[in-house]
Order: sequence, then structure tokens, then C-alpha cells
Amino acid sequence: MSHQENKKEKIDFKRISRRKFLKLTGTVAIGAGVLSEIVWLDDAIAAIPASKGYLLVDTKKCQGCLSCMLACSLVHEGKENLSLSRIQVLQNSFAKFPDDLTMAQCRQCVEPPCVEVCPQKALHVDTKKGNVRTVDVKKCIGCKACIQACPFEPGRALWNPDKKSAMKCDLCSDAPFWIQKGGVKGKQACVEVCPLNAIQFTKKIPEQKGDTGYKVNLRGESWKKLGYPKD
Amino acid sequence: MNGYAGKILRIDLTDRRISTLYTKDYEQWVGGHGMGSAIFWDLVKDKAVSGFDPRNIVTIMTSPLSGTLVPGASSRTEVQGIGVQSSPIEWFTRSNFGGRFSAMLKYAGWDGIVIEGKADKPVWVDIRNEDVKIRDARHLWGLDTWKTQEEIWRDVSGRGYGSWVELDPERRSTQRPAVLTIGPAGENLSRTGCLIHDAGNASGQGGFGGIWGSKKLKAISVIGTGSIAIADPKGLMEARLWAQGKYSMDLKNIDASWFARFGRKRPQITFWDPHESARLQACIGCHLGCKERSDTGYGNESTCEETAFYAGYDKAKHGGKQTSAAYIATDLLQKYGINSYEATRGLTYIRALQRMGVLGRGKRLECDLDFRKLGEVEFADHYLKLIAYRQGMGDDFAEGFFRAAKRWGRLEEDLKTGVLHYSYWGLPEHGYDPRAEVEWGYGSILGDRDINEHDFNFLFWWPSGAVWANKTPKPPAEEVVKIVAEKLVPYEKNPLMLDFSTDNIYSEHMAKLVAWHRHYTRFWKQSVLYCDHRWPEFINSKIPGYKGLTGEGEPRFFNAVTGKKFSFLDGMEMGRKIWNLDNAIWTLQGRQRDMVHFSDYIYHVPFAGSGNYAMYYLPGKEKGRWDYIRVNGRHLDKAKFEEFKTRFYNLEGWDSRTGWPKKGTLESLGLKFVADELEKNKKLGA
Repeated sequence: MSHQENKKEKIDFKRISRRKFLKLTGTVAIGAGVLSEIVWLDDAIAAIPASKGYLLVDTKKCQGCLSCMLACSLVHEGKENLSLSRIQVLQNSFAKFPDDLTMAQCRQCVEPPCVEVCPQKALHVDTKKGNVRTVDVKKCIGCKACIQACPFEPGRALWNPDKKSAMKCDLCSDAPFWIQKGGVKGKQACVEVCPLNAIQFTKKIPEQKGDTGYKVNLRGESWKKLGYPKD
Repeated sequence: MNGYAGKILRIDLTDRRISTLYTKDYEQWVGGHGMGSAIFWDLVKDKAVSGFDPRNIVTIMTSPLSGTLVPGASSRTEVQGIGVQSSPIEWFTRSNFGGRFSAMLKYAGWDGIVIEGKADKPVWVDIRNEDVKIRDARHLWGLDTWKTQEEIWRDVSGRGYGSWVELDPERRSTQRPAVLTIGPAGENLSRTGCLIHDAGNASGQGGFGGIWGSKKLKAISVIGTGSIAIADPKGLMEARLWAQGKYSMDLKNIDASWFARFGRKRPQITFWDPHESARLQACIGCHLGCKERSDTGYGNESTCEETAFYAGYDKAKHGGKQTSAAYIATDLLQKYGINSYEATRGLTYIRALQRMGVLGRGKRLECDLDFRKLGEVEFADHYLKLIAYRQGMGDDFAEGFFRAAKRWGRLEEDLKTGVLHYSYWGLPEHGYDPRAEVEWGYGSILGDRDINEHDFNFLFWWPSGAVWANKTPKPPAEEVVKIVAEKLVPYEKNPLMLDFSTDNIYSEHMAKLVAWHRHYTRFWKQSVLYCDHRWPEFINSKIPGYKGLTGEGEPRFFNAVTGKKFSFLDGMEMGRKIWNLDNAIWTLQGRQRDMVHFSDYIYHVPFAGSGNYAMYYLPGKEKGRWDYIRVNGRHLDKAKFEEFKTRFYNLEGWDSRTGWPKKGTLESLGLKFVADELEKNKKLGA
């Protein structure tokens, strides 16, 4: 597209297809804050607004205690079960730091394949809850398409064999076993419980390509006092 | 059943039979040690058999808190059975370990495992939720503990880990199986063989590694995808955030806080030089890790004692500078599966004998070790291999150094001088000498082992650390004993229980401290499984007035998980009950008052202490004034210790002539069936 054509076209960022957006990127300057206002049109003309909240993790700070997982299943399900935690921490006792541990939080993707693929709109964007990508259990038919669709390993959408439905991180929008208010305007159990503050909540959309947007350095000066590098 | 899985796995290795015990049948014992002792009582008819006898059982028990969000109480597993390490009697004993095994066992639907009998060939137990198999371990036998676990992980998931592993189409996990295994030391029936889980968690004391070896049990692996019901989930979350926020380490203001036992500001407990780069690593659910994983992979998950095994020799060999030998030597301990206390005290001992000219190449005690290489990895590996494979003099080492000294005809002499630093029941002395910190030695000799219960150890570390740094100990002695004494229910508000002056260490006050310690640890720490590194919490540097959360914290979490209404005092009484059951078992094993004695040097050689321990301070009242007093230079008085025993037995309601529990005491604890059995065997206290 020529520069002249761009000038003529009024770009309505409130309703733009991804394909068009990708064509424009690089040719049109996108102002700060615009990304969060973009309403994507997919080919099925369904609008997917970006989430108003995200979890960032520091995989070098994490002590592998799995308290985040225990808290997640506790406040959502009222019981303790690592397989029902919507955040997963994996580790290998015999590996070398920092490759001995990974943290797998849901990214609340700007382009969520799990949402796109759900045939029942059970896994949907909850516009009343800050656009979290979450499962309406009443609508879920247990097809597990969302579980297959998540491009990350381990998949962030998980299977609840007791309820026979999918589930995923909702930023604690619906955490019935916690007196604290959750969701994008509230707190997240994993963030609050982490003894080392290795999980952080943010309203800013992280860089979507690769990991650098979601795996960050939360260590700071105090980390040196523990005798560990803060780099 | 809130907190419980509901079933206990029972494995008869002789008949290769898998069956179930119902947790409900043992629920009154709550969990961990209480259940283990009760199950042992029921299943082992002849309690005087050797630990290596196939009729011995090994119980591996969780608690209702295992696998939950309770801080410093989610990860421990309690192992019990007739041990093979102590002397002259192989006491019914205990050992526990951290990591994630107990949690995983609960998620798989089991509150514990009971191992009976003996397999005819090497086996391992493969637990995947309710699916349990006894499998051929010939390909695992001979492997070190780390390789064994990696091999089992490969077996359970051929596609590795990094994604969801399916146990079946409905049930998945991202976690590696939790494995408990022996290494070559256990396989070769070492009395110093231990059980290892992940890289650095060990059931170290008691020789359970050798016991598993005698049963031809190589490993137990468990992976679970199930849930633990919680009575009050909101309450548990609130309690966790309360405890963590109020008492635990504040990253913006790092101070000793919870747990400040060693008075250090850093939570990791390591005695070697720090790694270049590492992470703090914690057991499952813990609010403040004590371990690490390093950028070299060396020393992963080792903590405390085992990190002190070789660092000193390494530095001495390399001009005062530590190399990686310190880490690698510790890793070898873990891989061979050898009790680090035996290895460490043993090395000190044979080094002393070598210097005396009695041990070495061509000496009366012929030993192949090249002491010129002490401090290098090569020496550590040679030494540990001798133990693990019972090669040459290693056959003696593998018996534990007390029995080794006996074989060498040196026992009496070396216990007189104290060059063999084994003070109670033929076991290595922990480090908090019986002549100095008496509650430790007393608890050990009145029980079955080096207690390894650090509950009152801060009374030494806090003031001594301050003195070593030329600072004034804070808080002052009078204040500290007042804070602690308030929490010592049901003997509360008696600060003389914490008076370590020589005039007081044989008193009834001290007997009460020892009794309190036994009861608290038997219940809250060994049955409910609050971790010794972080509980109890008497003193917290973060709290104005220093008051820690013990008394309030323990029952709050316990009740939130179980829905029970236990008070702290209820727990203390339960601990007293369990302690009495244990003493009944020891009685049936042949215990008599007159065998309850420390090694000779404790009564004759003044305690000097080495390094910092040469300035050993404890609270004490002298000339009517409370202060931190230096307790070096004293030894115990044998006659006065005899009087102390009498006071202790009377306090506990045991027959002071024998140390056996009395009928009235047992019946008042609901243990009439125990009294009946003792009576049948003519061993009931009068």
C-alpha cells in the first residue's frame, strides 16, 4: 500500500481486522494506548477486546513452592489440587538454575485461540469482568477444543474431570472461596500468596511475541541482600 | 474427611499383596507419627525383632496438612519403624523429610504407606492415583539415588515433562512423580543408609535406607491428580496471608523474622560459600525456602548439616578458598544415600585416628584412604564409596562409627576421651552438646535418637551470635524467657524452665521443659508435620515485643484444614499420649532405666566447643539475676543426672525404677490396651 493510500483511508481502530492491522503495522505509527482500544474483528465478525489485566512472572525469583498453585485451586475450587490450578510451575530437581524451573501462567492473549475455537462461546471474553478470557461452565460441552488450541506448553486451558468442563485463569474474577475481591479491579490469589512476589499483576498489555513480555525481572535491590544476582 | 485422603496403602512385599487400611480407624491419632506408632503397635506383634527382620515394618505417613497451603507444614513425610542405627538396642524410631512426596501421596488418594515383609527380588512401587503396582527393579538396583529418580520419571512419562502428562484421558498433571529411593548404601544394608527424595531431601537417621535394602525395596514413586478437601477454604487462605504478612520475611526490609533460629537474616540454611548464582528453593507450600538450586547444578536442594560435610576440608586443602569440592561431596552423600551425620562425625573420627597413627595405610587399622587428598573430591568419593559398597574398612564404616569403634576394640577408650563424638544411643552427636544445651541431650537420651528438634536452639544462637559479633544480645535474657515461658502450656509462666545455669539443669523445672518439648514435637511437628526449620515460632524479630505465632498459629491452620476444634493444649495432650505409646514400645523392646545414659565423656570431659561453639551462651539465672551465661567448661554430673531422670519419670507418671509407663498414666490417656500388653509381658510400671 502506498503512503498516499494510507493518508486517504480513515483507519477505524475500533473495528479493524487483524489482517488489515498487520498490513498497516510499520506503515502507520500507532499511538501509545491505542492497542488497548483496538477491537479485533475476526473473520466471523466477533469482536475480541483485549484483557484489562495480565500476570507477569519472574522465573528466576520463584522458589518453586507451588503456593500459587495451591492458592489458585483453593480459592476457585475450595480444595487443594495441583491439577486444578490455573497457573502451573514445573521444575526439575537435578537441572541447573535457571533452567530448573518454568512458570506457566495464562497470558490472556490479545488474540486468544482458545476463545476463537470454542464452538459454544463457553470460553469467552467476559466484558463485564475486564475482558478476561474465561469459561462459562454452564455452556461448556467438554469438547476440549480450547485445551488443544492453546499454543503454549503446558496448555493454559485445563480440564476439570470433576465438573467435566474446561477451566482457565480468570484473574480471580470468580474466586468464591476468597473474601478478597478478585478480577482486574481486585487482587489475584497467586500474586498475594507468592512469598517472594515473583508474580505481578499489570493492566498494560505485554509484548505478545515471545516470552519477554510475560517473563520479567521482579527481583530488585533487595534480592542482592539474599545473596542472589538481581540481573 | 477434610484434610485426609481416607485410605492408607498397605504393601506386603513377601506376598506381593497390595491392600488398604482405613484412615478413619486411626483418625484419633491425627496423622504422621501418631498414626505410625499406632499402626506399628497393631501390625508388629513381636516388637523386639531386629530392624533388618522382615517382620519389621516401615510406615511412611502424611498429615491432614500435607499438600495444603499451610506454611511450613505442607511437605513433610514421617518415616517410622524399628531402626538399625542405635545401640545397644535398635530403637523403634523416626525420621522425616521434606520436598513434595507427602503432598503427591495425598493427591494420589493415600494418607500413608505401610511396608511389610521382604521381596525376593529388587522391586519398586509405582503409585499413580489409586493404581498401585509392585514392579521389577532390577534395572534400578545399583543406580545412585538421582539416576534412579530420573529413570523412574522416564518410565512414567516417555514424552518427558514440560507439558501435561496423562495418567488417563481425564486426569493429567504437569508435575514429575515424587520418588523416594535408596542408593547403593541402602542396597548394601548400611546402618547409615538413608532414603532420598528429589535432590536433597532425606530421611537420614535410623538407617531406613538399609532397612529398605533388606526388604529389597529400591524406590516408591507417586503421582497424583486428586483433591484434598478443606473444611474452611476461606479461613485457610486468610490464615496463610495473615501469617505470611505479619510474621514472615519482608523483602523490602530483610531481617531474621520467621524463622530466625540461627539469627541469620537470610532464609537459606547453608554452611558452604554461596554459589555464584542460584535461586532460593522451597518445599511445597512453604512460605520461606531454606534450600537452593545453583547455576552449576551442584548442591541442589541440600540444606543445613549436609552442607557442612566437606566445606572445611575443601578450604583447608585449597589455601582457605573453597572450591566446588564442597558441593560435590555433599551431592555424593545424597547420591550414595548416606546419612550425613554419620559421614561427617565419622570422618572427624577417622581423621583423628589417622593423626594418632592408629589408622591408615599399613597401620593397625588398615585403611586405604589417602588422607593427603582430604579436601579433594577424590577423597570424598573414595570415602563414601567405601561406606556405600562395604569395601575394605568401609564394611566397618557402614555399620555406623559407634559399631565400627567397637569392632576395632576402641569404643570404651574413645568414648572416654570424646574423640568419638557419639553421645547418645551409639549415635552421632548433633552439635548442640548435651553438656551445654541440656534439653537437646536429655530429649535424645530419654527417647530413641538425636532429637533433631531445634525448638529451643535459638536460645543459643541469638545471644551467642550477638556476642560473636561484639553486639549486645537482644532481647535481654529475662525478656526472652518470659516471652517463651508464656507459650509453654500447660506449664506456662515458669521461666525457670529456661534457666540453663548449672544449678538448675537437673531440676524439675528443666524436666518440665524436656517433657514439653517431647509432647509438642510428637504431636504438632511429627504428627501434624509442622516443619522443624520454621516451627515453633517463639521469637520473631519483626514483631514489636518479639512474640512469635506459636500457640495461635498451629491450631488455627490445623482447624481450618480439618474442621476440628483442636486447641494448642489439646495438641500438647495428644503429644503426651503419643510419647507414652512410644515409651511403651521401647519398654517392650527391652528398655531399662539403667541403660539411659550418655557416653562417658559427657560426665567427665568439660565441654570446650570448637570454633564459635567455644562461646556457647544460653539464658540462665545466676545470683538471682537473669543473663546469657557461657556454659562452656562444664560436664554433666552422673549422680545428678540420675536424680534428674527420677524427676522426669515422676513428672511423666512413669515408674522411676524402670522408666516404664505406669498403669494409671496409660489408662488416663486412653491407653488401657497398651497397659494390658505391658502387663502381659511383665513390663508395666508399678
